Amino acid sequence: MEFLQKIIISGLMNGAIYGLVALGFVLIYKSSSVLNFSQGYMLLLGAYIFWFFKGSLKLDLLPSLLLAMPAGFLMGTLIERIALRPLIGQPLISMITITIFLSLVLEGLVSVVWGTYPLQQVHIFSRSSLKIGNIVLTTENLFAFGLALGAMLAIIIFFRYTRLGLAMRGVAEGHQIMQSMGISVKRILNLSWGIAGMAATIGGILMGSTLGFQLGLSHIGLLAIPAAFIGGLESPEGAILGGLLIGLIESIVSGYVGYAAGVPVTFIVLILVMLIRPYGFFGLEKIERV
Amino acid sequence: MSHAAYYPPSGIYSDSYKKDMRIIKTRTQWVLSIASLVFLFALPYIPFVNSPYLLRLYIGVGITVIICLGLNILTGCCGQLNIGQSAFVMVGAFTSGLLNSHMGWPFWACVIPAGLASAFVGIIFGIPSVRLKGLYLALTTLGAQIILTWIALFGMPETAAGFSVAPIKLWNIVFDTPKKFFYVGMLFTVLMTFFAKNLMRTRPGRAFIAIRDNDRAAEAMGIDIFRYKLLAFSICTFYAGVAGSLLVHYMMWAQLESFTLQESIWYLVMIIVGGLGSIEGTIFGVIFITCLKELIFVVGPMAEGHLRFLPIGAGSGLLLVLIGGMAILFLIYEPRGLAHRWSLVKAYYRLWPFGY
Repeated sequence: MEFLQKIIISGLMNGAIYGLVALGFVLIYKSSSVLNFSQGYMLLLGAYIFWFFKGSLKLDLLPSLLLAMPAGFLMGTLIERIALRPLIGQPLISMITITIFLSLVLEGLVSVVWGTYPLQQVHIFSRSSLKIGNIVLTTENLFAFGLALGAMLAIIIFFRYTRLGLAMRGVAEGHQIMQSMGISVKRILNLSWGIAGMAATIGGILMGSTLGFQLGLSHIGLLAIPAAFIGGLESPEGAILGGLLIGLIESIVSGYVGYAAGVPVTFIVLILVMLIRPYGFFGLEKIERV
Repeated sequence: MSHAAYYPPSGIYSDSYKKDMRIIKTRTQWVLSIASLVFLFALPYIPFVNSPYLLRLYIGVGITVIICLGLNILTGCCGQLNIGQSAFVMVGAFTSGLLNSHMGWPFWACVIPAGLASAFVGIIFGIPSVRLKGLYLALTTLGAQIILTWIALFGMPETAAGFSVAPIKLWNIVFDTPKKFFYVGMLFTVLMTFFAKNLMRTRPGRAFIAIRDNDRAAEAMGIDIFRYKLLAFSICTFYAGVAGSLLVHYMMWAQLESFTLQESIWYLVMIIVGGLGSIEGTIFGVIFITCLKELIFVVGPMAEGHLRFLPIGAGSGLLLVLIGGMAILFLIYEPRGLAHRWSLVKAYYRLWPFGY
């Protein structure tokens, strides 16, 4: 029983981070209907940028965190500016394909600059832990959980109540219409990639401090995709719930079946959800029989 | 794909639909086609270009061309993304290998079942996504890559560890050296290329293009989108299966490590560099990327050895940056790929000296 409890807790805690990364995925999908396959690699680069400030420049924790966030934002906007802006008005398939190739470039960049070996571990939080009954929660986990929930709330409010959020939702519907309504598609896309880059960086730092800074971090992107889809590609709250669900499934399956089974089973769940509820649990149901 | 620079050969008047649809239109084209086929099959006997290294490269190109042709029919002609092509190559490879090593079937009896097994698995993964509008096939094929690799790793001890496969035999000829295998590989490459080229002027081929260009209009014209998307996907995976079968009988060894997600993405790079929806472009793309890869396998370690400031593993990173970056550049600046360049060259030749 204790094992199950442990698994559930760690699953939920990891799930919060998956949810956070899935939020970035949803954000880009919501503003441009692009499935961003490079989200995991943005996370990787974001984590390594943080490591650059903390490990190479030997800055303190707080300044490096404060520097890493805008750097993550800048990374997102740069990616959009260089790779995606020239494709505005082109078929969607080319934008999605470009994100696949972006993941190659980002992974390559990281290994050209930092090498393929894991970097030195950086601990962000004290190793202290909280005990409730016989469940042990580390500060790290709690912080990640709180951050993910906070980011979700911020993004939901942003999309529902601000003009910019409304403009982003409009851009997802159609570039031409929004442009003719006087809303700059370029600026909107740029901003949403920036925010997604920032979300990925936060996720990367949190994951990096627990798993270590290594190329394997990008695999979280693989889990964020089913998380975003199961929750519904249009819905921030769905992304978080999907993330929690995926985290739970992954940790239960890896606990009882075997470590390697975690990711494949989440994809089996993804395909089942696709069969039963093609728009996810919180997604916008667009019935179009084509 | 529309060719802005498409000019028919001079003096060719297509006065019937059948004539307009011919693949080979002029006598020069006949001569060139036959000459290039003869050249292709004489290649292992031409000095200077028949070293074992080059022969292996040719065979690799031939098998990859088959894989990428399937992918190009799906992605380029039908407009669906597949980022798990190498998993379907794996299905074909293991089906063929297991049939051969356990049941003792010869290669010639394995190759079609391998393709069909791949297509069957492809349909299982395709059905959830082609029901939806949008590019969700990309998600399920990513899932296929991960799930199928996992099944191969834990489902069977043979597939996890790798097993040996008998070489191709025809009566008493054993195709176990690159020089001999070259003929089998090229035979299949030429046949599959011809099939793909032909497919594009049949009813399904036209339906694929209609779906890619505008799915609503296609549906309104009475094209059953679900059926044709699934058909395109099963053709794509059938190609992958056949190529996988060839691959294991060439390597005489089936192992899991040759079928990774990265391979799948490389196949996508190849068709994008070559030209989406173009059969000859696929061949250009495969040759181009294969040459580039070989070049970087030489340059990468050299750079790592001489430039001291680079960390360990930078060579492989360089390869990724170059290949991914080139695919991005092609998508932005030359979305029609090398095939478009080729058609420009042809147009220049046909219009010369009045090319304006």
